[in-house]
Amino acid sequence: MNNLTSFVQPGELLSALADGELRREELVAALQVGGSDDAASGGDIARWSAYHLIGDVLRSQANVAVSPDMRFVERLNHRLAREPVAAPVKPVLNLTPPLTSASNDESFRWKLVAGVASLAAVSAISWNAFGLFSPAAVPKLAELAAPQQVLVASPLGPVLRDARLEEMLAAHRQLGGVSALQAPSNFFRNATFDAPTDVRR
Amino acid sequence: MNFKKFGVVALMLCALAAMNYVAADPWPTSSPAPSSAASAAVETRAVNEWLMRMREASQKQAYIGTYVVSAGPTMSSAKIWHVCEGKQQVERVETLTGAPRSTFRHNDKVVTFMPDQKVVRSEKRELLGTFPEFLQSTDGRIADFYKVRREGVDRVAGVEADVVALLPKDSMRFGYRVWTEQKSGLVVKLQTMDSDGKVLEQAAFSELQLDAPVRVDRLLQMMGKVDGYRVEQPVLVKTTASAEGWLLKAPVPGFKSVSCYKRPAASPSSAVVNDEPLQWVFSDGLASVSIFLEPFDRQRHDKESMLSLGATQTVTMQIGAYWLTAMGEVPLSTLRLFANGLERKK
Repeated sequence: MNNLTSFVQPGELLSALADGELRREELVAALQVGGSDDAASGGDIARWSAYHLIGDVLRSQANVAVSPDMRFVERLNHRLAREPVAAPVKPVLNLTPPLTSASNDESFRWKLVAGVASLAAVSAISWNAFGLFSPAAVPKLAELAAPQQVLVASPLGPVLRDARLEEMLAAHRQLGGVSALQAPSNFFRNATFDAPTDVRR
Repeated sequence: MNFKKFGVVALMLCALAAMNYVAADPWPTSSPAPSSAASAAVETRAVNEWLMRMREASQKQAYIGTYVVSAGPTMSSAKIWHVCEGKQQVERVETLTGAPRSTFRHNDKVVTFMPDQKVVRSEKRELLGTFPEFLQSTDGRIADFYKVRREGVDRVAGVEADVVALLPKDSMRFGYRVWTEQKSGLVVKLQTMDSDGKVLEQAAFSELQLDAPVRVDRLLQMMGKVDGYRVEQPVLVKTTASAEGWLLKAPVPGFKSVSCYKRPAASPSSAVVNDEPLQWVFSDGLASVSIFLEPFDRQRHDKESMLSLGATQTVTMQIGAYWLTAMGEVPLSTLRLFANGLERKK
């Protein structure tokens, strides 16, 4: 793994870490630099604090002057090491719920009712989403043949799960960002929108 | 099959959708129309100056922030880094919800990292910087179709912001409410509203650090690190609607044809040569519409449908031997106008 050639100096790596500019692999490497090097740990921690201090000074008008008291940290670590480790308390009661089926599991009719209720809920969502098309905004709606909805309920709400339409939506977001209002907000909006995890674009 | 679990999830979704439906935010509809040509000219200048100021702010500022977009019952958020140096603009967007995505933009070049699939998509977005033409043209375009109204001040993400509403003059487009940071003009919040003033979609910074220490070289370095990723470069062929045999015989007021592209179908199963959906893009300066046209396929295109996803509306229908998908941040009736105005040249 040699993705780290761009950060030759550990200091630079720490600086990037302080600025939140590291990707996953780099982050791991940075944490190792900071954590493993015991002899120089004072140096690394001081540097880390210095970068934060620089950041704080850059960001605020007030005077910030905080430096780590290494002796305090040392004492704290020492005391922590000597603290007895408390044994986990054993539970008095066995609270594991029995893995039996629900009392109404036998009843097919009950399942049927639950199924109908779910269907009703999904229909309500579709109807709700359909309510977005207010009559005032769609004067021509009445002239149209009854359209069929392709709304699907998902954990994200009633959304479309048609790969083709998802592709077109992505294409529209890519090329349709012609807006005086939304540059760069439009880019942010489109980049922020959740990408469907189950559909390849 | 666990019916009960599904029922509970469905009910929760229903409640969420209902909450969204109730949270309407109507604006007062009283707004005096400009009476003379002189006041119209003043208004045009006001709208254009305000839009230009917003654009400049978006280019000059360096900031880090958390951006939240809510559309219908869904809410997404991302962390954003933005910096410019001279003519160079660099942005980084890390999604905090949904699938992990890192998107970088360097001027018109956009690179999206998809770490879950180990894929990088590299694209050009030519249109991002082209809108000043809409403002500079003599016919006043945006101001012809929207009027601007000041709505006071508000605080967003810890900064003081001016609130301005851009209201459509006809029923063919949506309205917007825009919060701009008072000193710089940076857009910190944006709402898209239907004709009743109901918020369809909104995007805002929940946290914003202006003049943040963001470095161009560092972002570019991250953008170029594609080791271990497969790089995809979607093929995009520039064309014209006319060359593809299409004509909009009845233009939709305010909307201008911006571009037209062909792209190969993404699914490898459809190996037919002419099975490339055509994308014809229109814009009125604020809202955009994409018209997708492809050969009609009885198997796939069995349902004509309408769909609403936040501010983005979609209509699909058959036109002769073709299948149309019209999509845009406009009312459904506007998409219908496009659909009805399309004609296949003999």
